[in-house]
Amino acid sequence: MHPVNWAIVVVYLLWVVIDGIRKSKGTDTISGYFIADKSLAWWVVGLSVMATQLSAVTMIGTTGQGATDGLRFVQLYFGLPLAMVILGVTLVPLLHGSGVYTAYEYLERRFDAKTRSLTAFLFLLSRGMSCGTIIAAPGVVLSAIFGIPLAWSVALIGVPTVLYTMVGGVQAVAWADVKQMVLIVVALLSIVVVLVLQMPVSPHDALEIAGATGRLQTFDFSFNLDDTYTFWSGVIGGTFLMLSYFGTDQSQVQRYLTARSVNEAKSSLLMSAYWKIPLQALVLLVGVGVFVYYQFVRPPLLYNPAHEEVVLAEAGATYDDLQQRYATAFTLRETAALEVAAAEAEPSADAAMQTFLAREADIQEIRGEALALAEEVTGEPSRDVNYIIPRFVLSELPIGLAGLFIAGVIAAAMSSISSELNSLATTSVIDFYRRWVRPEATDTHYLAVSKGATALWGTFACIVATYAATLGSLIEVVNRFGSFFYGSILGVFLLAMMPRARGTGAFIGLIIGMASVAAVTFGAPSISFLWHNVIGAVVVVFVGLLFGGLGSDETAPAPEA
Amino acid sequence: MTEPPAHESPRAVFRRTLARVLAVQIVSLALLGLLQIVYG
Repeated sequence: MHPVNWAIVVVYLLWVVIDGIRKSKGTDTISGYFIADKSLAWWVVGLSVMATQLSAVTMIGTTGQGATDGLRFVQLYFGLPLAMVILGVTLVPLLHGSGVYTAYEYLERRFDAKTRSLTAFLFLLSRGMSCGTIIAAPGVVLSAIFGIPLAWSVALIGVPTVLYTMVGGVQAVAWADVKQMVLIVVALLSIVVVLVLQMPVSPHDALEIAGATGRLQTFDFSFNLDDTYTFWSGVIGGTFLMLSYFGTDQSQVQRYLTARSVNEAKSSLLMSAYWKIPLQALVLLVGVGVFVYYQFVRPPLLYNPAHEEVVLAEAGATYDDLQQRYATAFTLRETAALEVAAAEAEPSADAAMQTFLAREADIQEIRGEALALAEEVTGEPSRDVNYIIPRFVLSELPIGLAGLFIAGVIAAAMSSISSELNSLATTSVIDFYRRWVRPEATDTHYLAVSKGATALWGTFACIVATYAATLGSLIEVVNRFGSFFYGSILGVFLLAMMPRARGTGAFIGLIIGMASVAAVTFGAPSISFLWHNVIGAVVVVFVGLLFGGLGSDETAPAPEA
Repeated sequence: MTEPPAHESPRAVFRRTLARVLAVQIVSLALLGLLQIVYG
C-alpha cells in the first residue's frame, strides 16, 4: 500500500486512541465508566448502536456478498424497524428506568439470582468468543492482503481498541463509535463516487448488466424455513433476532443505558429503524457496482493473494492453464457486456443479453475450478468473497481513498470490539464480581477491577483471533451454542414483562427453550438460524407461563415504564 | 427528535412511531422494488 494510505491509517489509529483517553475524564465512578452517568445525547447513542452492529465483516464480507449474490441479503433486516419500535415501548423503558448497569441485573430484581447468573454467563461465553472472531475476520484478510503475520494485523486492530476502551470506559467507546460511523459511511460513499466516475458504461447500462445477472433481485416472497434470505424469514425471524440482539444483548443494551432519558434512549434506537435498511442496501450496492466494474476491468482469478501464491507454487501448471482460459473468457464476456450496453432497446438486445449471460456462466465455471483448486492445495476453505472489495480498493481506488477505506474497515472492527469488551467487563464486574465476590467495595476498587477485566477480555479476544484458524471448529461450536440461547434469553425478558411469570418458571423455560433449539438444530439442520430465535422465545414463554406458579419469589409485577 | 405530547398514551405513541417508521421503510423498499422490476 502507498505510504500516504498507511499515513491515513496511522493518523486514524492515533486519533482514536488519544481522543478516547481524553474522554476518560469524568469516569472516576462506576456509573460514569459503565453508563456515562446517563448523560449522552440520543444521536451519540444512536450512532454508537449502529457502529456496534456494523462490523468489519459488513465492510468486507457483505460488500463481497453484494458482488457475488446481489441485494437479497438486505431482507435479513426487514424485521429491524418493527423490532426497534416494539423495544421502544417495552424493554427500553423497563431497563433504562430501573437504574441497572446490565440487562441481566434486571432479571434478578424481577426473578431471581440463578436466572440472572445463567443469562449473564451465557452472554460472557458467547460474546467472549465472538469478540475474537470479530477481530479475526478482518485480521485474516488484512494479513493476506498486506502479506503480514496474522498476529500483527490482530495487534493493529486489537491493541488500540483495548487501550481506549480500558482507559475511557463507555464514553470513550461511544464517542469513538460516532467518529468511526462517520468514517465508515464516508469510505462507502467514496467508493460509490469512484465507481460512478470510473465505470466504462452509463449508470443505466450498469444497472441493466447487474439486473440481468440477478444482482438486483431484492425480494423473495417464497415461504421457505430453510432459506435465510426471504421476505418472510426477514420479517418474522428477523424481528425476533433483532429483538434479542437489541433488547437483551448487553453489548447493545449498554449503549442505550447511557442515554439522558428514556425518550432519548428510544430515539437512539429509532435511528437504526430509519437508517439500517438504506445503509445495508448501500453496502450491498457497493458490491454490485464492483461486480459490474469487473465486467470491463479484469480482476484476479483468485482474489485471496495468499491462496494465489500457494496455488502458483504448488500447482503452477494447472493454474496457468486456468488463467489462460480465464483471460480468453473475460475478453469474450467484456465484448458481450459492451454489446448489451450498445444494444439498448434495439431488436438485437435480447440476443446480446443471452450471449452475455452465456459468457458470464463460462467465467463462473472457470472461477469455480480455480476455487476448488485453491481449497485442494491449501486445505482450507477459500472464502474468496471476503477479498473482492479489499483487492478492488487497493488496485482501483486513488491514493488516499484506499487508505480511507482500510481505516474504515479497521474502524468498523474497532467499534464492534470496543462495545463488546466494554459490555463483557461490565457483566463480569456487575453480575459476578460485585454480586458474588465483593458486594461492598468502593467505586475506586470496582473501577480498577473493571479496567483489569477489560484488559483481560481484550487479551483473550486477541489470543482467540490469532489462533482462529486452529480454533476454527471450537469457535464454530461456541457460535452454534450461541444460537441455542439467543431467542431463549429473549423469552426470559418477555416473561419478565408478564405479571404471572415467576423465577423458577423462567429458569426452567430457559433450559427447555435452549434444549428445544438444540433439538431443532440437530434434528432439522436445514432450518435457517433465523427461526431458532422464534422457537426459543416461544418455548420459553410457553413453559415459563406453564410453570408460572412455581418459585418462592414474591416478586412484584414488572414495573411500569 | 420531537418529544411526544405529555398526555399521549403509550399505545398512541407506539402507533404514531410505528406509522412513521413504516412510512420510511415503505419508501426504501419501494425504491429497491422499483430497481428489481425495472432492471431485474
